[in-house]
Amino acid sequence: MQLNALDQDRLDGKLGKAMQFAMETIVAAAHIDQADALIDISFAHIDACFYNGRAHLDFVNYMLEHGATLAVPSWTNNGLVSLNDLSVRDPLASREMHEARELMRAYVRLGCNPVWTCAPYQLPDRPGLGAHIVGSESNAVSFYNSVIGARTNKYGDYLDVCAAITGRVPFSKLHRDEARAAELLYDVSAIPKQIRANDLFYHLLGHIIGRRSAHLVPAIVGLAADCNEDDLKAISAAGSSSGSVPLFHAIGITPEAATLEIALQGRQPLRCIELTVNDLCQARNELGQNTDQALAGIALGTPHFSYTEFEHLVELLAGRSIRPELVFYLTTSRHVLQQVQLQGWAESLQQAGIRIITDTCTYFSPVVCGLQGKIMTNSAKWAYYAPGMLPVDPLIGSLQECVESAVSGEVVLDQWVVE
Amino acid sequence: MNRQSSSIEARILIAGFARGSALVLDDSLSFWGGFDPSNGEIIDVHHPQYQQLVGGRILCISESRGSAGTPGGIAETLRNGSGPAAFILGERDVNISVGTLVANRLYDLEVPVIEVSLSVMKQISSGDQLIIDRRGVMLFDAE
Repeated sequence: MQLNALDQDRLDGKLGKAMQFAMETIVAAAHIDQADALIDISFAHIDACFYNGRAHLDFVNYMLEHGATLAVPSWTNNGLVSLNDLSVRDPLASREMHEARELMRAYVRLGCNPVWTCAPYQLPDRPGLGAHIVGSESNAVSFYNSVIGARTNKYGDYLDVCAAITGRVPFSKLHRDEARAAELLYDVSAIPKQIRANDLFYHLLGHIIGRRSAHLVPAIVGLAADCNEDDLKAISAAGSSSGSVPLFHAIGITPEAATLEIALQGRQPLRCIELTVNDLCQARNELGQNTDQALAGIALGTPHFSYTEFEHLVELLAGRSIRPELVFYLTTSRHVLQQVQLQGWAESLQQAGIRIITDTCTYFSPVVCGLQGKIMTNSAKWAYYAPGMLPVDPLIGSLQECVESAVSGEVVLDQWVVE
Repeated sequence: MNRQSSSIEARILIAGFARGSALVLDDSLSFWGGFDPSNGEIIDVHHPQYQQLVGGRILCISESRGSAGTPGGIAETLRNGSGPAAFILGERDVNISVGTLVANRLYDLEVPVIEVSLSVMKQISSGDQLIIDRRGVMLFDAE
C-alpha cells in the first residue's frame, strides 16, 4: 500500500508517539483487510470507553500520555456504569466500577463528546447518506449503514480510537460500493399483516437474519412502508447479536434500496428465503422459554429507548402502575431523557415504578441491582446476551406484552407467535 | 495423510512464535458478551464450546462476531495471562488481530495471528499439538 506523505510522517513518529501507534494500527488493519488505500472519515462513534478490563485503561492512558488528540468529532458509546447514578450496579464490584468511571473520564479528556449512548443516531447532527464514518457498537454500525446510508465497517475497540486520532481508515469492505450490494433475499410477505405490524416482529426478524445470513448482505422484501426507525433499530440490533449483519437493505424503505434491482446492483440474489410464522415462533423460543417461574422484572431500552418508544410506552401504560414486587429498568441516552423530561413523561414513568437509567445498559455485569430471575424484555439483543452475563432467564415480548405483564405482575402474552 | 510431518504456509496477520494444543471452536464468538476475559472462559450459552477455557491454547476460530468489544476482550485476556497462545483464523478478522496487536505492544507479548483456508482449518482437531513460527508456517507437532 502506498502511503501519502502525511500518513508516512504519522507512521514514522514525526507527529508524536500516540499518532505513531494509532497509524501503525490503521496500517496493520489495512494489511489485514487487503486494502490498497486509506480514506478520510468525518465522524467516529467510540466504543473503547466501555470498560472491559485494565487493558482499556492502559491503552487510553498511553494515548493521553503521548499527546493524542482527535481528528474528527467523536461521540461516546455506553459506558459500563452510569456517571449520573452510581447506585445502579452491584456495589461489590467497586474496583471494576471505579476503573470504568476512570476510563469514561479519560475519553472525555481525550476530547470525545460524552453522549454515552449505543443509539447515537437518535441524536441531532447525525452523519448523512454516503458519509465515510467509523461505527463501532454493532447495532449502530448496522443502523448507520442500513438506515442512514453512511458507510462504516464494524470497527472494534482501539481501531475506533486510532481512526479518530488519525482521521483515516482502510478503504475496504463497506466503504466501497461493490460490497454494499444485496446478495440474499428474505421475503416476509407471507406473514400476516397484523403480525408484521407488531414491534416484536422486527426483533425476531433481525434474530433470524443474523442466524442465517453468514457473510451475505441481506435484503428484506415485504416490510410495511410505514415501518419506522425504531423497527429498523430492532433489526439492526438483533441481526448483529445472533450474527454479523453490518448492512441490510429494506426494499422501498432504506436509502440504497429504492427498488430491489438497485439494492442488488443489477445482479441476481444467491438465495431467496420465504419466512413464515413458524420461523418467528422458533426465533421467539430461541430467545427464552416461558416457564412456571414467577416474573421478577422488565428490562427495556436495548439499544437505548428513543423518544417515540417513550411515547408508545406512556400510551400503553395509560396511567397505570408497575406491580411493586417487580423491578422495571429502562435505559436511554441523556439527550433523549432530556426531551422526555420536557414532556413530563420521565416523572410520570418514574412515579409508576419505572427506573430510568442513562449512560449504560442493563444486560451485562456487574448486575444491575435487583435484576435476576425471570426478566421480560422487548429486545432480542438483551434476550440473546443477558443469560451469559447475568443470573436471569429472559423472555421476549412486544412492548405491549411487557407493559401488561408489568402491570399485572405475571407474564401476559398475546396469542400470536406462541407455540 | 501423515499429519505429524505436515506443515502449512499460512497468511500472517500478526507475526510471532507459539506452541500449544489446539482448541477448535465450531462457531464464531463474540469476545465481549460471549467470553469472560478475566479467566478466558466461553460464556455464550448458545455456543458449542460453552464453558471451555482458552488459556494457553492455540485457538482456531472462523472469526469473531457481534459487539465491538472483541478487541478489548482479547487484549484483557492476554494482559492477565488467561488468553490463547495464538489464533488461527478462517477469515481475515480485524477485531481479533487488532486486540492482539495492542496487547502485544502494550505488554511486550508475542501472540501470533494467522489465517488459513477452510480446508486447512478442517484438518485441525482440538488437542492437536501445533507450532506457529515467525514466518507464518504452521506445523503439526510430532512431540
